[in-house]
Amino acid sequence: MKKRVGFPNALLFYKFSILWTTFFQELGAEIVISPKTNKIIKDLGVKFAPDEDCYSTKLYFGHTLYLKDKVDFLFIPRIGSDHEVNVGCPKFIALAEVLKSMFPDLPKIIMPFFSMAKKNHGRFKILRIIFSIGFRFTLNPFRILIAGKRAFDAQSKYDEELKFSEEELHKWENSKIFLQNLSIQEQRKTPLRIALVGHPYVINDDFSSVNIKNLLLSRGIDIITPDQMPKALIENQMEKLDYNMYFNYAREILGTTMHFIENNSIDGILQLIIFSCGPDSLIGEMSARYSSRKPGTPLLQLVLDELSSETGVLTRIEAFLDMIERKNEFRRNEENCHLHSLILDH
Amino acid sequence: MPFTFPHFGSLTHVFEVVMREVGKNDLLLPKKPNRRTAELGARYSPEFICTPFKLTLGTYIEMLEEGADELGSGSCHSWCRFGYYWPVQKLILEDLGYDFKFICLDYLRPYILLRTLQKEIGNGCSLQRAIRAVRIGWIKNRLTDLVDDLLYKYRVIETEKGLSEKMAETAFKIIVETKRLRDIKKLRKQLPEFFKKNIDVQKRDNLIKVGICGELYVVYEAALNLDIHKKLNELGIVVKNTVSLRSYLDMGLKLNPFVKSPYKTAIKAAKPYIENKCGGETLENVGDIVLCKKHGRDGMVHLYPFTCMPEIITRSFIPQISQEYNLPVLSLVLDEHTGEAGFSTRIEAFADMLIRRK
Repeated sequence: MKKRVGFPNALLFYKFSILWTTFFQELGAEIVISPKTNKIIKDLGVKFAPDEDCYSTKLYFGHTLYLKDKVDFLFIPRIGSDHEVNVGCPKFIALAEVLKSMFPDLPKIIMPFFSMAKKNHGRFKILRIIFSIGFRFTLNPFRILIAGKRAFDAQSKYDEELKFSEEELHKWENSKIFLQNLSIQEQRKTPLRIALVGHPYVINDDFSSVNIKNLLLSRGIDIITPDQMPKALIENQMEKLDYNMYFNYAREILGTTMHFIENNSIDGILQLIIFSCGPDSLIGEMSARYSSRKPGTPLLQLVLDELSSETGVLTRIEAFLDMIERKNEFRRNEENCHLHSLILDH
Repeated sequence: MPFTFPHFGSLTHVFEVVMREVGKNDLLLPKKPNRRTAELGARYSPEFICTPFKLTLGTYIEMLEEGADELGSGSCHSWCRFGYYWPVQKLILEDLGYDFKFICLDYLRPYILLRTLQKEIGNGCSLQRAIRAVRIGWIKNRLTDLVDDLLYKYRVIETEKGLSEKMAETAFKIIVETKRLRDIKKLRKQLPEFFKKNIDVQKRDNLIKVGICGELYVVYEAALNLDIHKKLNELGIVVKNTVSLRSYLDMGLKLNPFVKSPYKTAIKAAKPYIENKCGGETLENVGDIVLCKKHGRDGMVHLYPFTCMPEIITRSFIPQISQEYNLPVLSLVLDEHTGEAGFSTRIEAFADMLIRRK
């Protein structure tokens, strides 16, 4: 019988899902992914997770508890950092051990530790992790190696497809191409372009983001998310700061916001902040301060937690969109007036 | 150019000493944070930032009003928000219209720390002088910790109320004013005698001992922890801080092969629960709670500021450890809204429970 490996569908799974699932599939394990966040999972998480954890971590607890009786292994890696200098969130390191401590009856947890910044882990460590996990499922070392290689290839291919090149971004900013296939595009006279910034596990999780992504899409708005931004562009923005932004996953978010604030090339920025998330509390404040110093692109920050209601969020987004449209119309009128006066002068 | 830094309990004296040693005599010593400081800080801070941010921001605003224009701040590069304090505080203070310069000291990277001390604070003094300053800093930090421990012991058994606090003030003054290294080293024996000589004690057997662990700023800063040490002392409990800045600063302890560092022992003891460092003092705290009985303590108090990322992790392990070792552990979250009465009630209940257990 195949061994079943469970993946809680939250937090870093949104970033590394292809890598993890491909690897275990190639090893011959049965993949069990928890369903998309729903009310049952949320209730489980809110009930059993520590009170002060951020909302996303609480959901992770819910996903894990949901999988509890359905799998033989749980895969919860402890990722300290995947960059030479910059680190991740401390909760990613401790999640597996905290879960083991709080719920002793969980199935066996596979928890490889990887930290590039503080422990200088590199390729050799990855190889060791691959083998230590692989021998639990198969005794054939070549199969393990091939599985690892295929997994990394698949992940890098996925990442490449997700990211846009700078040219494409430039074209999009000048409204020559559309990122999303919008069928209702015609409804709007002038298409709106909005950057939806936040952690990938918030934006892509329809439940915790109160369905904001689909809501914007259904209104014919073209959106871009931080994980689609070209990496060079973000690094470029980060060099302008007089300190090193050492939370690796926060870099993308702040970089995206700063890029659009500086270039003033899109209609608005919508930032999703998770309640009591550590890095978010800082980048939220930084974005707000940078935006107020260079006003031009409107910025709306929404703080989400388990009590956020769809109606409340909807009202605020509608107000935001109305504001953008009024602003655009005002600008268009002003340009027309300017043109008119030019013609009259001649 | 008056230089200032945040108030940090008894560590304020250590910072003062280091600054004076590199030749920065233009110091504006920080005031103790009070209600107004917390209100000022909370007004301008982000919504769910940890509480030390708010208090230090409040202190900076108060000190800027008094005329300081160089602000010293710590910085780090770890799994904690502490390294972002100064960038965000700088943005906030700039928007408030103050004119100032931030100097940040990265305490996890010794070379950068020494360079900053030498160039930006010491006005280009020699590297030896910076090294000597840090060395005297950690030696004096051992002494301030010693005075803290003595105070938390003598306050329980003193006959004249308030005398040991006065003595501690004098002791801190002596520590700051002693200049020669030989004299400083002598203080280690002189200070306990100084306390013994000056304070009349009423001997009591079977004193209850409690260790206090948690986030460094909360444990040290009496304004934020509502002086929990004094409250416990008044209930007849001897307390001791288990965390200290020395776990980062004390190179002498790290390099000495003959002395066992208590911080390393704690990290080792934490291994069965959590293996890897995850910012702050998580490993040390978990280890200290595990080793509680071995150190002869009757219980532990764990303090952390609201939304502190590393200490929430420690908090999650406490139920298991407490059950396995049969330990009383009180975990308290603190922020600027913590009410004095509710806080006291919980401490009193904890103290009663300890007395009944004994």
